[in-house]
Amino acid sequence: MKNFLVYLVFVFSGLFLALYFKNSNLSTGDNKPTLKVFGSSSFISQWGPGPWLKEKFEKSCECHIEFNDSADSTILLQRLKSEGRNGGADVVLGFDQYDIDNATAGLEWRKINTDNINFEDSVREVLSRSHLVPYDWSLLSFVVRKSDFQSLPKNLNDLLDPKLKGQIVLEDPRTSSPGLQFLLWLIEIKGEAKAFEYLGKLNQQLHSYAPSWSSAYGLFQKAQAKIVYSYVTSSVYHLVEDKNTDVVALEMDEGHPAQYEFVGIPATCKNCELAEKFVALLLSKEGQKTIMEKNFMFPVTQGVREGTVFANIPNYKMTVMEVLPTVADRERILKKWSQLRRTE
Amino acid sequence: MFVAFFESVKYVGHLLPISFLRVFLGYYYLEQALLKFRGDFLMRPRLAAQIAEVLPTLQTPDWYRLFLESVVIPQWQIFSFGLNGIEFAIAISYIFGYLVRPMALLGVVVSLNMLVLAGPQTQDLYKTFVAIHLLMAWVGAGRCLGFDYYFFKRRRGIWW
Repeated sequence: MKNFLVYLVFVFSGLFLALYFKNSNLSTGDNKPTLKVFGSSSFISQWGPGPWLKEKFEKSCECHIEFNDSADSTILLQRLKSEGRNGGADVVLGFDQYDIDNATAGLEWRKINTDNINFEDSVREVLSRSHLVPYDWSLLSFVVRKSDFQSLPKNLNDLLDPKLKGQIVLEDPRTSSPGLQFLLWLIEIKGEAKAFEYLGKLNQQLHSYAPSWSSAYGLFQKAQAKIVYSYVTSSVYHLVEDKNTDVVALEMDEGHPAQYEFVGIPATCKNCELAEKFVALLLSKEGQKTIMEKNFMFPVTQGVREGTVFANIPNYKMTVMEVLPTVADRERILKKWSQLRRTE
Repeated sequence: MFVAFFESVKYVGHLLPISFLRVFLGYYYLEQALLKFRGDFLMRPRLAAQIAEVLPTLQTPDWYRLFLESVVIPQWQIFSFGLNGIEFAIAISYIFGYLVRPMALLGVVVSLNMLVLAGPQTQDLYKTFVAIHLLMAWVGAGRCLGFDYYFFKRRRGIWW
C-alpha cells in the first residue's frame, strides 16, 4: 500500500512540476499578440480548415493564433457569457441559425463589414439577421449506401418500410444540431401534431439516437446502420477521401433543411482588428475553398464551387424556414420530444 | 533489481506474451497522456464538454449523473489533472512492470467511466480495456519483464 501511494504521489508531483514549467515557458514567449479563436473540433482539428487558416494568417499578421476547442455551441455560449472579457475570445465560429437568438441575448457582437463579398443567393436570406456572418452551409438529408437498396427511399413514408427497422440513425435533438434541424424541419413541413405522430412511427424504425453527428456517422460507417441523417455534402467526403461513389444523400420529395454556420467577433474582443482580418481571410476565395474542401460544406461566396466535385452535387430542394422558432418554443418542442421518447 | 528484471523471463516465462501486451498497453496510455498534456486538455474544459455532450442520453443511476453534473463538471480542472495523472501512472507502471496489479485495478475504474462517457463509437475499445486490465491484475503481469518480480520474490503479498 505504501509503495502504491508513494508511486502515485511521485507521478502526480512530476506531472504538476511539468505543467508548472510548461506554463512558465508559455508566458515568456515573444511579444506578438495572440488571436484567440473559439471553434468546433471539426474546424480546428488537424483535418479541418483551421490549421491551414492559421498558417496562412500567421505569415502576414505578426501574431499568433490560439485555437480553443468547444464540443458544443451551448457550452461555448455558456463559456462566452460567464467568462466575458476574461475569456478573451476574439473570434467565435460554429453557431448555427438556431443559436443566433441565444448568442445575441446577453452578448454584444461587432458588426462585420461584408459589403464587398459576393454571397451565394442561398445564404443572403440569413445575412441580415444579426452581426454574425455565415461562413459555410449545407443542406441535410438521409445518407445511404446505394448498394444496400434495390430502390432508394424517396420520401419520409418510405422510411417507415418494415425492412428498414433498426437501420436508421438519427441525432439527439437536445445535443446535436443536425438532430434539432431534422425535428424542426419535420414540424415545418408537417405541422407539429402530424410531425410528432410521424416521429412516433419513425422511432420504431431507429437503430438509435446518437448524442452527436460524429457518433451517428460512426455507426453508419461501421455498417451498423443503413441510413444516417447527415449533410448532402457527406457523399463528397466519401468520393474524395475513399474514392467511394456508393454513398449518396437521398433526394426527398418533402425538401431539405439548410444548416448555416456563423462566425462572429464578440464586442469584448481584445484584438479586434486582427479578428476582422481573420474573418476577411475566412470569407476570401481561398479561405472559402479551404473550408469547402476540409469541412466538406458548401461555400457561402460565389465562384468557389466551380470546377470542383462540389459543383456536381445535384440541386436539392431547400425547405425555407419562414419563421425560426423562439428559444422558448424550441424548449417546449424538445420537452415534447423527450416525453415521446419516454413513453415508447 | 535489474538482474531480477531479466531473470524473471527464466522463472515466469509463461507470462512473457502477456508482458508484451502489458508494455504495448502502457505505450498506448503514454501516448494518450502525452496528447492530453501537450494539448489543451488541462487548460480548457474539454472533459466537462465531453460529459455535457453525453449527459442527456446517459443510461446510468441518478447518483452517478448527479455526481457528474454537480461535482465533475464544475471541478473539471481537478478531474482533468487527475485523469491525466492516472494515465501517466498506468503508462509508467505497465511499461516498467511496477505495481501492475493495483494500477490495473485503477485502470478498470478509469475504463468503466470512459465506457459510459466516451459515447457509442468507442464503447468496444473500453470494454476490451476493462477485460485486459482485469487480466493484468489477475495474472500479476508485472512479474515477467517487470520490477514486480523483484518485490514479489522478497516481500510476497497481493500487491505484486
